[in-house]
Amino acid sequence: MPSALPLLQGTVDLLVLGAIRPKAMHGYGIATAIDERSGGQLQLDDAALYQALHRLERQGCVEAQWGASENNRRARYYTLTPKGRRRLAEQTAYWRSYSRALDAILRGA
Amino acid sequence: MRFRFLHRNTREIAKDVDDEIRAHLELRIEALVTSGLSRDEARREAIRRFGDLDGTRRYCREQGEGKERNMRRRLALGDLAQDMRIAVRGLLRAPALAATIVATVGLGIGATAAIFAILDAALLRPLPYAQPEQLVRIFTDAPPYRFRFSVADYLALDAQQTAFTRVAAYADRPMTYTDGASAERLRGRQVSWTYFDTLGLVPALGRTFTAADGRPGAPQVAIVSQPFWRQRLGGAADAIGKTVRLDSVDYAVVGVLPAATGPLEAGQDFFVAAQWRTPPRKGPFFITAIGRLPDPSKGAAAAAELRAINKRIFPIWQSSYQDDRATWGLMDLKVYLAGQFRNIARLGLIAVALVWLIACVNASNLLVARVTSRRRELAVRAALGASRGRVVRYLLAESAVLAVAAAALGVALAWIGINLARTAGAPYIPRAQEIVMGGRTLIVLAGVTLFSALMFGLIPAVHGAGGSVSDDLRSQGRSSTGSRAVRRLRGALVGCQFAVATPLLVVAGLLIVSLARLGHVEVGFDTHNVLTGAVLLPAAQYNDDAKVVTLWERLKSQVAALPGVTDVAYVDSRPPDDAGNQNNFDLEASPTASGGSQPVTTWVDVSPEYYRLVAHRLIDGRLPDARDGATTSASVVVVDEPWARRFFPGQSAVGKRLKGGGCSTCDWTTVIGVVSPVKYDGLGNPEQGTVYTPMTETGKGMADSFSARQRYIAVRTAASSPAMAAEIRRVLHDLDPDLPFTRVSTIDDLVGESLQQPRGLSMLVGALAIVALVLSVVGIYGVMAHYVQQQAKDISIRLALGGSPRSVVARLVRRGMTLVACGVAAGIAAAAVFTRLLATLLFGVRPGDPLTFSAVTVLMLGAALVACGLPALRAAAVEPAAVLRSD
Repeated sequence: MPSALPLLQGTVDLLVLGAIRPKAMHGYGIATAIDERSGGQLQLDDAALYQALHRLERQGCVEAQWGASENNRRARYYTLTPKGRRRLAEQTAYWRSYSRALDAILRGA
Repeated sequence: MRFRFLHRNTREIAKDVDDEIRAHLELRIEALVTSGLSRDEARREAIRRFGDLDGTRRYCREQGEGKERNMRRRLALGDLAQDMRIAVRGLLRAPALAATIVATVGLGIGATAAIFAILDAALLRPLPYAQPEQLVRIFTDAPPYRFRFSVADYLALDAQQTAFTRVAAYADRPMTYTDGASAERLRGRQVSWTYFDTLGLVPALGRTFTAADGRPGAPQVAIVSQPFWRQRLGGAADAIGKTVRLDSVDYAVVGVLPAATGPLEAGQDFFVAAQWRTPPRKGPFFITAIGRLPDPSKGAAAAAELRAINKRIFPIWQSSYQDDRATWGLMDLKVYLAGQFRNIARLGLIAVALVWLIACVNASNLLVARVTSRRRELAVRAALGASRGRVVRYLLAESAVLAVAAAALGVALAWIGINLARTAGAPYIPRAQEIVMGGRTLIVLAGVTLFSALMFGLIPAVHGAGGSVSDDLRSQGRSSTGSRAVRRLRGALVGCQFAVATPLLVVAGLLIVSLARLGHVEVGFDTHNVLTGAVLLPAAQYNDDAKVVTLWERLKSQVAALPGVTDVAYVDSRPPDDAGNQNNFDLEASPTASGGSQPVTTWVDVSPEYYRLVAHRLIDGRLPDARDGATTSASVVVVDEPWARRFFPGQSAVGKRLKGGGCSTCDWTTVIGVVSPVKYDGLGNPEQGTVYTPMTETGKGMADSFSARQRYIAVRTAASSPAMAAEIRRVLHDLDPDLPFTRVSTIDDLVGESLQQPRGLSMLVGALAIVALVLSVVGIYGVMAHYVQQQAKDISIRLALGGSPRSVVARLVRRGMTLVACGVAAGIAAAAVFTRLLATLLFGVRPGDPLTFSAVTVLMLGAALVACGLPALRAAAVEPAAVLRSD
């Protein structure tokens, strides 16, 4: 297993919001999705994930509701609120232009 | 209601977080086991991957709790906003009610706070000096009088006292300031060099006075006020060392006072260091002595020392001062500065507080009526599931809106009142410059506002929320058991209003009677068309007798030549309350025993023309003429009729002889005439008798005598002549451009000024009393109208069954008037006690004046009778059938 990349500050919220955009998910599901989608390259520990979820809930970006998981366990499902949707769009746009700018500089070097 | 389900408490939040994390770990473990790890290994790996488990748990709980708090706050604010919206809308539908409550309670709050601020500055707050509790005023105590000190007294006090850290003295010393271009009269004081040290005042610039400055013969020095320094010395640091010309003498400026000083410095332009020498006789008594006690609790020891010093120096001055019963005493400087104002301020505060109380009771009464008429609406709300707390809150919201509006108005009025008192009121209010909206005043303002809100908020709310819901629904808002309790409550409130308003009206009545009596006091002569003004000849320029005599003679003859002038005279006093001198004397016919107190009366120094100007009626003897001026050795005086009656009752005072000023070695002075009285000691004070001495017109020593250089000129014109002051000023300017003409005023204006304070007080209390009366009448009218409305059916049945309208009216009126009579009776009893406290403010009327008391009783009952009668008459005039059918 190649050593995973540490996450840049401020990107956890973006990843979490992005993960639950298509459908409501519980914490473990989000962790697995991020892990799979990045091919195991991003190192997001569970503690940071849950802290981000609860922070976003307090800010009103996500809403949580208890429900049953795939294997019939009780799990807390998170969905995006309109505010969370706006936040995700803003952050995505920001990161895209940021990485483009960074990329352009590195290519020129 | 949807949100209520989401509310979670701390324990539930913690449980949710724990459950969620546990679920996560279990899912992770299962996945790891599936991938081939043993259960123990899987558990360890899951926990390792999670990272900081406890920290995360704590963090997530905090987030959850924070979210919960925010939500609750938003909900509460939302409810509050909704309550307020409903309340404002409801009140806008009853604008007269809302306006009455806001205006009257706001006025009450504002006036109470403003008058408290004045009283706080004048009486309560410590003086703005260092350790103010140590400061005392030292005076000559000859009960019932308290006199000022003389230079001889002060020098002895300064030399001999040990009880005080420091003593000081000051005397008013207005002087003419000349800067080469113009001359102006400025307010200033002559102070002992210890003055600023005693008060603990340090000049902002330069130095304070030192012992060397007070030594006779030392260079003359002055400390000036901040405004003087800015306006006349350029406001720069180089002002120190400059000289200022005061009364034609150069003073070196050694210091500038800070902008903020105490009440003793307020309004003074400059302070000059006095260089007092031991005088040849004990008097005159013109300086105020103050002292600083190291330990204020040892006042008694200090007082004993003062008495001892006075006793010690008594024999030294016995030839010029024989009153050995007079001693020295001390009093709190703060109390001395507040003076007579104490009584006035207290009376004012009590009066406005009473009006405020009536306004609150009135508001409470009106709102109880409002709640009562809406009981059914509230009952429906309660029946539909609104909690009792919710209903009370709804009622409180209306009160809160009213209270906030009233408070806003009150604060605005208080602010305006305080600013007016500080500026316009400064001449009448002690320590006016210290009046601020702050400290205790804010506490009082907040307290008064809060009490108002509770008073007209809680009573109606508790009342509205009480009682059985089903009763209210069944009663159809007509007669019910509940409304009897309401009537009783409203009746009691109205009774209280009358009980509070009555004493206020009595006090107003007494003050107005006093004012009327004061206004009818005869000054003693035709005061129309008499103009007066002061002229002072500075000692430095008028240093020889001939100059002084010439100036006075020229001024008189040139003013007399002005068109329209009928008489010109000089005098050292002005009616009605500016007596030049209070002098003691010894009568040849009844000498005062050695050590006893000699009689004291007003002495007025007049030029011969004055008798004609005032048109004194000669009752006995003759007026001074040329003969008396020629022979300076035999001095003569004229006395007025009250003097003659006081000292020589039943006999002629003419030819009687006396020695004035406690001078036992002087020649006898003979009384040559008796004239009609003129008021010099204030309109409100009894006539003690006046002695008229002929003003020195020629002769030696005029230049050395302050009193010969300072005079009022009095001018009578044939008709009203507003330009006369300017004419006289021009004449004076032509004679000597350095001489200012000051304190210019007609006698009519002086009389008006002397009535200003009693007039202001009676107007204030009178206005408050009228407000109180109106509010009480509105109260009884409201109660009666409501009662009549509730009894409409009952009344109609009576009328339909043949009851006479008269008996119906009588029955209704009797109900209302019983309440009023109880209130007025209680009020009259309170007034009988209360008015005794204001005896000192009354003139010509006793505190228990039966006429005022009965007039107020009649007025109150009469106004209440009209207020009760109107609804009753209306009720009796209706067509019974119409009322009975309307149901």
